[in-house]
Amino acid sequence: MQQRITFLLFTVISLLIFAGCYLFSITLSKTSFASGTILLLCLLFLASYQLRKKISFLPLGSSAAWLRFHIFIGFLSFVVFAIHTRLQIPNGLLEFILFLTYYTVFLSGVVGLFLSRTIPYRLLSRGEEVLFERIPVHRRKIHDRVKTLVFDDAQPEQGAALPDFYHKHLQDFFEGPRHQISHILHSKRHLHQLKQKISAQEPFLDEQEQVRLQQIAEQIQLKDDLDYQYIFQAIIKLWLFVHVPLTYSLIIFAFYHALAACAFASTSG
Amino acid sequence: MSEPSISRPRRWDKPFSLEPGSEEEMTDADVEILLKKPPFSQIDPAGFKRSLPLHDIIKNDARVVGFDDGDIVVRRGDWGNSAFFILSGNVRVGLERGKPTLPDEILGRRHHKVKNLWESFSQLWRNHSVPEVRKLDSVFSKSELKTRHAHNSTRIYLQEVSAVLDKYHTARLETGHWFGELAALGRTSRVATVFSEGVSQLLEIRWQGIRDILRHDQNGKLKQYIEDAFRERALAAFLRTTPLFHDCQPELMQRIVDQVEFHTFGNYDSPKPFKDLIENQDHATEGGEPVIIREGDYPSGIVMIRSGLARISQRHYNGRRTIGYLSPGQIFGLDEIRAEVQSLTPVGCRTQLSAIGHLNAVLVPTPLVEELLKQNDSTGAADLHEVKTHVSDSGSHSVKINDDTLLSQLVDQNFVQGTSLMVIDLERCTRCDDCVRACSTAHDNNPRFIRHGPILNQYMIPNSCLHCVDPICMIECPTGAIFRDFAQGDIIINEQTCIGCAQCASNCPFDAIRMVDIRDSKGNIIVDSKTRSPLTQATKCDLCIDQRGGPACERACPHDALFRVDMQDASQVGEVFSR
Repeated sequence: MQQRITFLLFTVISLLIFAGCYLFSITLSKTSFASGTILLLCLLFLASYQLRKKISFLPLGSSAAWLRFHIFIGFLSFVVFAIHTRLQIPNGLLEFILFLTYYTVFLSGVVGLFLSRTIPYRLLSRGEEVLFERIPVHRRKIHDRVKTLVFDDAQPEQGAALPDFYHKHLQDFFEGPRHQISHILHSKRHLHQLKQKISAQEPFLDEQEQVRLQQIAEQIQLKDDLDYQYIFQAIIKLWLFVHVPLTYSLIIFAFYHALAACAFASTSG
Repeated sequence: MSEPSISRPRRWDKPFSLEPGSEEEMTDADVEILLKKPPFSQIDPAGFKRSLPLHDIIKNDARVVGFDDGDIVVRRGDWGNSAFFILSGNVRVGLERGKPTLPDEILGRRHHKVKNLWESFSQLWRNHSVPEVRKLDSVFSKSELKTRHAHNSTRIYLQEVSAVLDKYHTARLETGHWFGELAALGRTSRVATVFSEGVSQLLEIRWQGIRDILRHDQNGKLKQYIEDAFRERALAAFLRTTPLFHDCQPELMQRIVDQVEFHTFGNYDSPKPFKDLIENQDHATEGGEPVIIREGDYPSGIVMIRSGLARISQRHYNGRRTIGYLSPGQIFGLDEIRAEVQSLTPVGCRTQLSAIGHLNAVLVPTPLVEELLKQNDSTGAADLHEVKTHVSDSGSHSVKINDDTLLSQLVDQNFVQGTSLMVIDLERCTRCDDCVRACSTAHDNNPRFIRHGPILNQYMIPNSCLHCVDPICMIECPTGAIFRDFAQGDIIINEQTCIGCAQCASNCPFDAIRMVDIRDSKGNIIVDSKTRSPLTQATKCDLCIDQRGGPACERACPHDALFRVDMQDASQVGEVFSR
């Protein structure tokens, strides 16, 4: 219900802006100043959300309400931007950079919205819930456990099947986050391949080694789940590093553009 | 195996009379004198076990404490774990009726000042770069309280007792009276402030001692006294907290008060049952909990919870399924009795009621409930409908969640204790940590919770204070530094009186209290001048009591994933967990 009302409101406001610009244009005035001013105000409001996050202790409304409004204004700014640029690619260098920056920020916002709606489900679907900052510690613990299973009680005179297997197939896997693209694509192919290698190795091991290999297989699953958690938490954090600095760049460019427009353009038709 | 170097500590290694605040050690001669006086002379010592004689209980769990004129004995709102018997002199009890109660300022309570707009904003740059900085003058300075050192302890006192008596409504308790026993045994806060009028001598008994006396006293005199005291002082008011009794006529109410039965279930041994409950969840529903009313039994009355929590369960194949829980003030068995009144045939309980941890309940006998229902009927259909609506709307029946598994987990892990339980919906949470950052900013750059904890379905319960309905963290605080704020009902820690003993942290079954080394404004760890060891204080979530707008964590969540739930509020619980 709330989404329907929001969509209706968005449509009405967009139409009003269109109608306003059209009516303004038939008076033979330049609409660029009006649409540009609205756009600049929209951008300033959008950027102020980051400031709101910094002063969360002030009673300025909930962050969730701000985010809803942020998304609303973000989409509205796209409509205003389309009117402002008349859906044409600008030919000046500064305008082109500004155009590109806006679209990057807007698209990164849309991507962020998509990520924030989908990643929580993915994080909940697999692996233990671990704080992002603690993931390296957990990874190291798993690696240490595996190394203990591989190297403790290893008897060189009977061959070194497990150490060899470890060096050949496991060492690289346990040393850091791996198979990130597979995780993003929700693929488990790499895990199946590793398990197949384990199955293939089993006939060459004695009973004790087989038990240890099974324990290693459990650690492989844990590590893979941890990688899964890592990549999706990292994406969310990385996304902010794209969206926020680009927003600041956009505002700087936009101000420069506004100053230049005011200085060199005439408001009359 | 090597020989143990020390012997295992036992209950009475350190008698109560040797603990701080005591004057003299309780001697055998003192005990003999006490045992010759009522009410102790009325207790039959033969009923006590040889390993737990009455003489030893008095000797080890009681102490004689002297008070001077105006000395405050207990304060309204404090969590007490002892009761008092007046040996000589008089005390005054502050009453609420008629005149205003004794103000917090003269009782030594700290008022939490909410930061103004500028103070809030200036946290952006005023927050310290190192955690847990304290202003030395605020931690160690003497406050403006009237305190004095006497009788081997420091006490808060009222400066002009006669003026206090004129200004505030009080009642006198004379030699031979008990007070504080209801709070000590019911694990509730003290309902009134008591101060000494003139010089008085009191016998203070730990709740463990009273518990054992009640358990073994075959004459039941003390138990009778305590029940009578509750009947006389608080029962009618307690019953009227439930909508069912709102319009009860005085004559019927008096009969109900006279005939109500008191029942206690479960082990009272401090935090142990709660920790056991969390650690050994296998026996939570069937074996571990005392049953109050069995499924299929005909209820002998309605059970109303005084303190503690109760589980409502139903047989499900070969086990039991939790379908709800009751918190203080809620009732069980009303539907069955109502059905009985309507159908004129006895109706068995469709569910079972059992105690979680320790529970105090009152049982209002069936005939009186039937009479009450008929009386409500006679007041008119509209009124009856109103009562029914009241009863169900206010959650007087029980707290329920549509998802049985989730409900069962919440009860098993005792999260139903929370009056402000932090819950994170992981289907919405993007793990952005805005909540932790907001908490950190609101608490001088040191967050008061960890975004980590058990996950029940898609809900995470982070390591944050629940603000329990039965805050066992407060039981053993020697200075009363951890207390329930009267205005908000939150459990908070007073930095000025926390001595860093860690009792609260070790009692908390949810590990929500952390002991931290405190620092001065330069970032140096403050050390004790004598022992040179770092000074620690307890810290925990205070629901941003000094911030404008309430808990920062909740307001900072961009995705509405973090919320606080009062687990005693049936409508809120149902709404939140089924959204």
